[in-house]
Amino acid sequence: MNIDFTPKQQEFRAEIRDWLETHVPKKRLPSLDTKEGFEQHRAWERTLHQGNWGMVTWPTEYGGRGCDLIEWLIFEEEYYRVDAPARVSQNGIFLLGPTIMEYGTEEQKKRFLPPMAAGDEIWAQAWSEPGAGSDLAAIRSKAVRDGDEYVITGQKTWSSRAVFADWCFGLFRTEADSARHKGLSKILVPLDSKGLTIRPIAQLDGDPGFAELFFDEVRVPAENLLGPEHGGWGVAMATAGFERGLLLRSPARFQAAASRLVKLYKNHANRLSPGVKDQVMQAWIDTERFAAATYALVSQVNAGASISSESSANKIFWSEMDRHLHRTAMSIMGAQAEIEEGLEAIDDGRWLDGYMFSLAGPIYAGTNEIQRNILAERVLGLPRK
Amino acid sequence: MDFRFTDEQQELIDAAKSIFDGEHTVERMRAQLDGNEVDALWPQFAELGLLGIIAPEDAGGLGQDFSLMAAIAEAAGYAGLVEPFVEVAGLSVPLLAEMGETEKLAQVIAGEIRVAPLSPNLFANQDADKNDFFIETNPEGSRLVARDDVTLTGLKSIDPLRRIFKVSHQAQGNALSDWYGSVLSAAQICGLSRRIVDMSVDYAKDREQFGQQIGSFQAIKHHLANVHTQIEFTRPTVYFAALSGGRAVHEAKIAACDTGSLAAEVGIQVHGGMGYTYEVNLHMFMKRIWALSGEWGDRNDHMNILTPLVLADDAAIGPGASFLA
Repeated sequence: MNIDFTPKQQEFRAEIRDWLETHVPKKRLPSLDTKEGFEQHRAWERTLHQGNWGMVTWPTEYGGRGCDLIEWLIFEEEYYRVDAPARVSQNGIFLLGPTIMEYGTEEQKKRFLPPMAAGDEIWAQAWSEPGAGSDLAAIRSKAVRDGDEYVITGQKTWSSRAVFADWCFGLFRTEADSARHKGLSKILVPLDSKGLTIRPIAQLDGDPGFAELFFDEVRVPAENLLGPEHGGWGVAMATAGFERGLLLRSPARFQAAASRLVKLYKNHANRLSPGVKDQVMQAWIDTERFAAATYALVSQVNAGASISSESSANKIFWSEMDRHLHRTAMSIMGAQAEIEEGLEAIDDGRWLDGYMFSLAGPIYAGTNEIQRNILAERVLGLPRK
Repeated sequence: MDFRFTDEQQELIDAAKSIFDGEHTVERMRAQLDGNEVDALWPQFAELGLLGIIAPEDAGGLGQDFSLMAAIAEAAGYAGLVEPFVEVAGLSVPLLAEMGETEKLAQVIAGEIRVAPLSPNLFANQDADKNDFFIETNPEGSRLVARDDVTLTGLKSIDPLRRIFKVSHQAQGNALSDWYGSVLSAAQICGLSRRIVDMSVDYAKDREQFGQQIGSFQAIKHHLANVHTQIEFTRPTVYFAALSGGRAVHEAKIAACDTGSLAAEVGIQVHGGMGYTYEVNLHMFMKRIWALSGEWGDRNDHMNILTPLVLADDAAIGPGASFLA
């Protein structure tokens, strides 16, 4: 075991730090779930890409730098250290991208990965349905093969980014009369397709962060199938693994929030009851525990191990840690916690935004109840029924 | 940056596990609980070189780094090891090396004499009557005290397998013993917590109510998944603390105390009424967690040290700071 960064890793850190210092927007961008904010975040993705920082872990031919996951963690640490903008392209670069890398054809990699890394094509998810949430295998939306096309009919919901994005990746029933996990396929669909209606849904903060998608005989080329036909469940679970695991939520964002929490605490310490200090410390300690555990996991993955059900523990830990951290911040701000922005708002209202978003953490990417079932059954070996 | 053990280190961990789990069975613990003589394991520890695992190679040790000792302490915790192996191999050995006591060090590694650090708590010196020497740690310089020069008073631990004593000399602790002692107690608690999860899983698969295994109920599953998650997010901090020292040491012990309490409480809840009996083995492991939670600094001690380090105006905290500090 060793806990030192190599000279190469230190150089990498210095390089990204220098670049960010000169390029990060001086002012926080508006929410990426507004039209204006979405476009500004897309512009930021293009800036990142011009510096060749779009997705550092990808191979160079697809717009990356061929970095390993330790370097990825370093990149994230530097990124959040300077409070750089949220990644509007995260559905693509963190979730779909790695899935295409694993299951895509060479043509699909060449077609989809570079514009994804460049911010030219922003992706939305299309998994859940009104009747298929935690029970994702209850999916009913159909994609019927017709010559060299699929014809998609059905409804998807909670589709993050779909209001402003360019493409979505969805899970559809391709085999007639199939049931549950069998007969599903993962298909990539342009959001401007004929027959596709997008109805924005306002999230807790009032912004249209997700949408309902209505597919009325939407036609897409058969080559938009990702992975095996009727074998989409396995492909989707790989994506879910990325979502719960390493890429979507690296420790740095939480460590950045914890140091802001420490600062917030110090600014208000004189009016707080004694127990708050321990809550702040607990939040900080948990982010450090998350960092150590992530480096440990990355060490295994770098050495060729694959993670599957273990990512469920990850997801439970970061989501509940994040909720506790933001709840603690809210408790510190007292009456000012109510002020959303402008006059009298603390930190321009970002704690409120953060707290609301943290409440989604235990729900998205598979609820924490589902994650606990996965751990109990697949890791601990408790009986399914 | 690599949080993995080498193949050679993994073999040493497996060797320790095979003695702990193979020889130190719950039957042996039960026999000890009943006051019966059991075969001594100490000669095997010496023979396999486990006592000298982190001793310098020129002193006859294996020269391994302290993270390996943390892994072995975790295995000892999992087995509920009664003998104070962790204290001797993980604390006395590096302290003797620090003091330049090469002769005594060689004898300890060979299993010829037993030397243990005096607990900074004044009490909780396990099996103290079996020691030949004590190490009275002090930041200014530690010293050895012979068994005959101290007075021992037996104390009754909640853990029936821990024979602890109040000793007439008090140690002050030093940088090395504070660091290593905290990490080793945290590591043992991780192992004990994992043992409780495993025992509870076995019980939940065996016990039936409403015509089905209780382990099939989500209420039980979620309790145990919570403990599993906490263990998995404590162990890496313990290993990291073993190598880094500093803030991580306090984080590790605080996390271990919380994880251990949760494991003990969930363990007894899953076992139901059976868990509340002396007859079921669960209690031996949960009581050890309670005992070790207070050893080498309890949650308060560590929080009191850590808090000003984090809240200081010049504290280096935030993304990337944990590994650069």
